[in-house]
Amino acid sequence: MNENGTKRRDWVKNAAIVFLTVMLLLTFFSQTIMNYSLPEVATQYVQSGSITAKIRGSGTVESGDPYEVKVTETRKVASVAVRVGDEVQKGDILYYLEDKDSEELQAALENLEKAEKAYENALLNTNLTSSDIQEAESGVTIEEYRNRITVKQNAVKAAENAVKAAENEVTEAQKKVDEINERYEAFNTQIKIEDSNNYDGDSDERHARDRANEELNTSRNNLSNVQKSYDEIVGAITEIDAKIAAANAAGNSEEAATLQAAKDSKIVERDACTIELENATADVRAKEVAAKAAQEALDAKKAKDKEDIINSLRRQQAELDDEKNEAEKALTDKKNAVTDRTKDLEDRQKELTDLNAQIERIFGQSGLQTLQENIDKAQEEVDKLREKTTGATITAPISGTVTKLNVTAGNSTSADTPVAVMQPEGKGYTLSFSVTNEQARRLSVGDKADLVNAWRYDDIEVTLSSIKPDNTDPGQKKLLTFDVTGSTVTAGQSLSLSVGQKSANYDLIVPNSAIREDNNGKFILIVESKSSPLGTRYTASRVDVEVLASDDTQSAISAALYGYEFVITTSTKPVEAGKLVRLASN
Amino acid sequence: MKKIVLGISGGCSFLIFLILLFITSHLCHSQLSQQAAKRWGNPQDTAQISCFFSVYARITKDSILEFEHSIDSALVDASVVQESENAGARLWADAYSADGQVTLSTERGTVSADAIGIGGDFFLFHPELLLYGSYFSGNDLMQDYCIIDEDAAWQLFGSSDVAGMMVNIGGQPHMVAGVIHREDGRLAEAAGLDSTLVYVSYETLIQWGRSNGINHYEIVMPNPVSEFAYKYVKEHLGSDEKNAEVVENTSRYSLLSRLKLIRQFGTRSMNGKAIIYPFWENIARGYEDILAVLTLFEMLFLAYPVILALVLFIIWWRHKGWTLRDVRLKLQDKAERQVEKLRARKNKNGYGDEITEGKEQKEKKQKEKKPKKRRKKADDLGYLDEPSRGFRRKGWKRR
Repeated sequence: MNENGTKRRDWVKNAAIVFLTVMLLLTFFSQTIMNYSLPEVATQYVQSGSITAKIRGSGTVESGDPYEVKVTETRKVASVAVRVGDEVQKGDILYYLEDKDSEELQAALENLEKAEKAYENALLNTNLTSSDIQEAESGVTIEEYRNRITVKQNAVKAAENAVKAAENEVTEAQKKVDEINERYEAFNTQIKIEDSNNYDGDSDERHARDRANEELNTSRNNLSNVQKSYDEIVGAITEIDAKIAAANAAGNSEEAATLQAAKDSKIVERDACTIELENATADVRAKEVAAKAAQEALDAKKAKDKEDIINSLRRQQAELDDEKNEAEKALTDKKNAVTDRTKDLEDRQKELTDLNAQIERIFGQSGLQTLQENIDKAQEEVDKLREKTTGATITAPISGTVTKLNVTAGNSTSADTPVAVMQPEGKGYTLSFSVTNEQARRLSVGDKADLVNAWRYDDIEVTLSSIKPDNTDPGQKKLLTFDVTGSTVTAGQSLSLSVGQKSANYDLIVPNSAIREDNNGKFILIVESKSSPLGTRYTASRVDVEVLASDDTQSAISAALYGYEFVITTSTKPVEAGKLVRLASN
Repeated sequence: MKKIVLGISGGCSFLIFLILLFITSHLCHSQLSQQAAKRWGNPQDTAQISCFFSVYARITKDSILEFEHSIDSALVDASVVQESENAGARLWADAYSADGQVTLSTERGTVSADAIGIGGDFFLFHPELLLYGSYFSGNDLMQDYCIIDEDAAWQLFGSSDVAGMMVNIGGQPHMVAGVIHREDGRLAEAAGLDSTLVYVSYETLIQWGRSNGINHYEIVMPNPVSEFAYKYVKEHLGSDEKNAEVVENTSRYSLLSRLKLIRQFGTRSMNGKAIIYPFWENIARGYEDILAVLTLFEMLFLAYPVILALVLFIIWWRHKGWTLRDVRLKLQDKAERQVEKLRARKNKNGYGDEITEGKEQKEKKQKEKKPKKRRKKADDLGYLDEPSRGFRRKGWKRR
């Protein structure tokens, strides 16, 4: 039991010793151990200085004003007399050509043959008249034909004017006829109107009739009133009769007597009224007769007036008939004149067309005269080329340096391709390359460029001479063209340039590798030191910056810095602000 | 003994789980190409999206430019605006790149190398380890920079410290902006980093090298809601599914993604698209596979102690020696005592006496209760069934 207890105590003791030893070691070496777990960073001082953003590019030196030596015929080159880079004087031989018909001469002979054949074919053309051939052979010039055409054209123009004048006269005559017809029709219309007119105008007869009608109406009203009074009296008598009968039936004799007296009175009134009624009736009849007579008088008057007016209109219309016939005759004459003149115009036009056709036959594309001229030209070309066939050379048209020879011995020259390119004496060289718009914005014409690996060249000077849109991508790129001067410059030489804006001085400059970025913008990490009993501890601290300018290696910044801080450039592990770091030994 | 073995094995299993968890976490965070969102802003609302195109996708600089112009309006529509006071702060950054080959030459030698023609902020997404110089961007004024690896620097110049030197690419002079350390190791070499690699501008690659066309595009942008950025990029750039693949890098190593990957076991290797992945995507996919395996092991090593604990709990529950009724009765008893105590206090007069008496009573009760409690606990745990263990425990305490 005790043995077990002792063993256990030893175990506990050993464990405690091991634990304390480990703790002691950890305490002493904690800093070292921790240092190895920290990211190692390389740092650099914040500096002040200048930033120069350089634009670099490469291009091939070309002649500033190259002269291309061209020949017009395809000839085989026997030998080349010069080499690229040779300086030659005007008239010096560049190429010797073989003594052999050139392709151009063969082609010219073929053309001559064709032209002659075409002329012969044209003579057999059935459209040709004897006058055509006669005139072509007599050598009537195109000028003469032009004069003839002018005469014919004038005749056509005069005929056209005559037609126009005649047409105008027809128009005028037609207008006159239309006007007369219009007036004639106006008479017809007026007659119809007059015929349907009532002629109810102001007249004595009409006044008489109106008065008679008025009197008739008055009489009728009077008759009506009298008739009414009569009816009333008759009605009253009938009523009184009824009352008398009732009084008699009732045995009221007094009342019956009174009523009888009243009835008698009414009967007297009735008789008087009857006389009045007869008089009024007679009056009405008399008035009706008078009114009728007045109406008849009025009607007679109207009929007379209408007849007079219509007769007058018809007389005037009859007078217009003669004028109308005359105008229509004149119109017909004018129309006939137009027809005649139009025919005349057609004749003139035909003459002109015939003349043109004749000119075409003689001077046109396949005209006799043209074909003859073609033969002459082809013959001339053949003669010219035959002269060059023997002992031909190509000579330098200017003094200068040969920069390019495009044909070698044994090959043929071509009319389209220059056989050689020369740099004229006294002219400079150019070099160009393309840059982005952003890069071009930092440059200006006149900027001096440096040569990359400048030690290779002695006295070459390069100056920016123009900034133009690059045709390959005009929206995005600019073509920089430089003037290159110097004794060692040759065309075709490849040069690399570096050109940049003037440098500016800044207080805070850090290496590009120190600039970092996250969603809060650009920043740098600086190292802050803190002394402790176990050594100095270094902490990364974030400083937000604004990048003012950059070149290939450095950036100028604006930040809350004193200017003597250590800036972290690289690290072995990602570094976060506020975390401890270990400085690289160097 | 059996319980001890089980306990130790459970503990070891849990320990292995924790180690695997640590390794997984370390591997996830070691992939810098996948961590651009974390470096750019808050990873909770920022997403890094990558697109990979086949040669038939015909992606051009103009189509990228068109897409870039549409992003700002999309973000405004989503009510995402720039809040930073720093001048020139951007909400998003992107990069495109193309595979190809270039030939570099100096007076010392000539090197034919695999090249990546870059546009935009490529090195924001791929912070390769810089030995000398600095990165360059597709937005720089000049596009005649190149970044070479140590091998190329040695072959071309015989030194690594060559930042700022000139090298000819296709006969045109280019400036060496930086020298990087090319990632090595089995995975990196298999992914395509087995030969010299040069980074040049996209313009340089198409003008002076041999380009396969733009086949990668990456963007880091705000992600106000889940998958906003992924869907936007997919709809506007990766809609042709046969010729494009869109990946959300931010969440590709999350537990959910890893579990999905495990579920895709067997089908993941099948590919019907003519897309050649760049080395960083190959490495990322390699790590995905490794992480999937580790996740599987994590689950197994976590499952063992959890199941063991569950079994032990069930066994203990079955042999516990008390019932819920006992607990209820005890609680009732305690409540009654409290009530009695309160009543007794009310009956007392004089505050000081009450306190003194109360203290004395309390002490007495505690003295009475303590052994009872211990006893009770011992009973509950079943120690009293094993006298030796109870004795050992008491004896060790006394000493």
